[in-house]
Amino acid sequence: MGLSRRRFLVSSAGASAAALVAGCSNGDGGGKAVATGDTVVASPRYLPFHGIHQTGITSPVPASGLIAALDVVRADRSDLARMLRDLTDEIDGMMAGRAYPATDPRLPALQTGTLGEKPPPTDLSVVVSVGASMFDERFGLGSRKPRELVTMPFMANDKLDPDRSHGDLLLTITADSPDATIFALRQLLRRTRGHLVLRWMVDGFNRRSAPKPGQAQVRNLLGFKDGTANLDASEEGLMDEHVWVGDEDGEPAWALGGSYHVVRIIRMFVERWDRTSLTEQEAVIGREKYTGAPLDGRVETDVPDYDDDPKGKRTPLVAHIRLANPRTRATRKNLILRRGLSYSRGFDGNGNLDQGLAFACFQRSLEDGFMAVQRRLDGEPLEEYIQPQGGGFFFALPGVNRRDGWLGEQLLA
Amino acid sequence: MKRLASCTLVVAALVSAFSSCASDDGANVRGTSCGASSGSGSASGSGSGAGSGSCASSGSGISNQGSTDNVKVNEAVAAYDQWVRDQIDGLLEKTKVFTDAVRANDVAAAKAAFAPSRENWEAIEPIAGLVPDIDGAVDSRVDDFASVNDPKFTGWHRLEYLLWEKGTTDGGTPFADELDAELMKLKTEFAKVKLTPIAVAQGSAELIEEVSEGKITGEEDRYSHTDLWDFAANVAGAEKAFELLKPAVNAADADLAADLESDFDDIDAALAKYEEGEGYQSYEALSKADKGDMQAILGSLSENLAKVPGVLKLG
Ligand code: HEM
Repeated sequence: MGLSRRRFLVSSAGASAAALVAGCSNGDGGGKAVATGDTVVASPRYLPFHGIHQTGITSPVPASGLIAALDVVRADRSDLARMLRDLTDEIDGMMAGRAYPATDPRLPALQTGTLGEKPPPTDLSVVVSVGASMFDERFGLGSRKPRELVTMPFMANDKLDPDRSHGDLLLTITADSPDATIFALRQLLRRTRGHLVLRWMVDGFNRRSAPKPGQAQVRNLLGFKDGTANLDASEEGLMDEHVWVGDEDGEPAWALGGSYHVVRIIRMFVERWDRTSLTEQEAVIGREKYTGAPLDGRVETDVPDYDDDPKGKRTPLVAHIRLANPRTRATRKNLILRRGLSYSRGFDGNGNLDQGLAFACFQRSLEDGFMAVQRRLDGEPLEEYIQPQGGGFFFALPGVNRRDGWLGEQLLA
Repeated sequence: MKRLASCTLVVAALVSAFSSCASDDGANVRGTSCGASSGSGSASGSGSGAGSGSCASSGSGISNQGSTDNVKVNEAVAAYDQWVRDQIDGLLEKTKVFTDAVRANDVAAAKAAFAPSRENWEAIEPIAGLVPDIDGAVDSRVDDFASVNDPKFTGWHRLEYLLWEKGTTDGGTPFADELDAELMKLKTEFAKVKLTPIAVAQGSAELIEEVSEGKITGEEDRYSHTDLWDFAANVAGAEKAFELLKPAVNAADADLAADLESDFDDIDAALAKYEEGEGYQSYEALSKADKGDMQAILGSLSENLAKVPGVLKLG
């Protein structure tokens, strides 16, 4: 561990990770931008690790992501603490682009080498979250469980595979390309080999592009723009209002600055969807497919006016976006920060493609956020084309805001 | 059996009178994996002469070359060498009990003798792999062949298939005879092998890889589900090597020695829960939680054992 490990200034309390993203380095002095087609893509950087929130929750939408759920085994509370320190050290080093010290070539090298001798900037970030099972009898953390954290229940339309659900610990690794996420995964697993075992994993992607005002960056595998009406993660006020657990929430003190983290592995029946008429598809979602405009508007940035359409003549009452966000004063508290990834993993026994959305969202309250939205979505017409098969409820740990701090420090203190 | 067939190019193979160069990827590809280095590794398994620039890595992916001045290491190697030879004697004896039962058409006795007959083998498998071709003949699994009917599918698992899947010893005698003959060949050929420090250190790590890749998944003994016997024997072989090397490891890196010691204690304790009679319960009894624990312990063991050759400045 050289000095390079601590290349970034630790943020002062109060600065959010989102704000820090703007000030990060790409290792050779300032981020450049590369034009690809009609979008402008920022060149990859080393994202800052330190901050009061974990960086990867609000950093720009990643091109690649890997979500791995793990179980903690053969560990007591002090092993757990050591493991989290090791994780922190490795994540910090990788995000900062630390050069791994050379070792005697007769020994296994300290890094996989899959990104070369000195890993280049890749926008890498890792979000570490804990599941409800972390608060069972094993570590004596029962009294510290975030108030609303439960094992993800079985919900309508679900076909949850227990082998692809839940877990003690969730790693969400995001970067500009899959080789970078794989590098990070292998490094993290090596560092924690004796105490963490993989439970399930999903590998995903988004089209790599930079935001343009009023335009969503990506389309999901149904072909619809995804993220149009998402919360703007660079708006600190919005994040404080909807994403970060705060003082007034009655949560354990350690949880401040953290966030409830929901993952849903949602299979899409893409063959069936592709043979559905465009009109039907747009009615199911509630937006125009190509422009992303609401059905009562012209451009993507237009805001649907449901008051003016009480019978659902333009936007069906059961359209996905209308149920998900009825846009009333009362439902404002249900807003969530979505951060999904598309996935594709071969095909099933019927010869149908196994593709879908690794839906992920962050919120200050599980009940007011995901649960409220999901309850409204129950029975929506979109269900005919999708099937939740796994995932889990987690709590994204607060960020590390101290030079020698580590992820989970407050939780285990 | 181990299906890794690596081939390191080395200038001199310091194996006395014998250079081991086998692929163990099944009899169908026997002897081909090291051909690139010097044309050694003939189908007959005789290999090329020592020091001819031949492939010194074995069918089990470990190498047997080099030497050290480290007295502690050399003492360990000498003791391990003797231990391996004792294992081979035990192997011949216990396998004969098994093969005799097959030849006597005694299905129950053969089934009872199957797992015990494999213990000594599993304890030394990577080291036994220094003798080419034996592993492929005695311990390949059905996945190494297009079908169970492939005549090259021989050895323990062919007999296991007959006994458990077919419930018979019919047609087993030729396989039993061949198993005896191959293991006898192992004894004669191994007499010419002189173990090196790197082989002992790598062999120990290789045994744990074997467990992680085949035993913990229940693939090895898929008909009899006696995988935990093999598992325990692999661990015993690795642990023996570590115990002997421990003074040397401790002198070079005391933390590593301590970590390894506690990993071995943990895996022994995890396995002890499944002891039954002279051996172990069926693989099917293994709980998911215990399997997770074992995976983590084996993972830690593998990471730590991988450092041993380097820490001892071998290779
Ligand atoms: C495979 C499953 C899903 C697909 C294909 C999908 C698709 C979409 C699309 C195309 C949009 C419109 C564009 C946008 O604003 O981002 C959207 C919006 C939205 N979705 Fe989903 N979604 C899925 C699952 C979910 C789930 C599980 C939830 C939460 C429980 C959810 C909550 C939302 C919300 C809150 C909006 C924004 C609505 C608005 O503010 O207008 N979605 N979704």
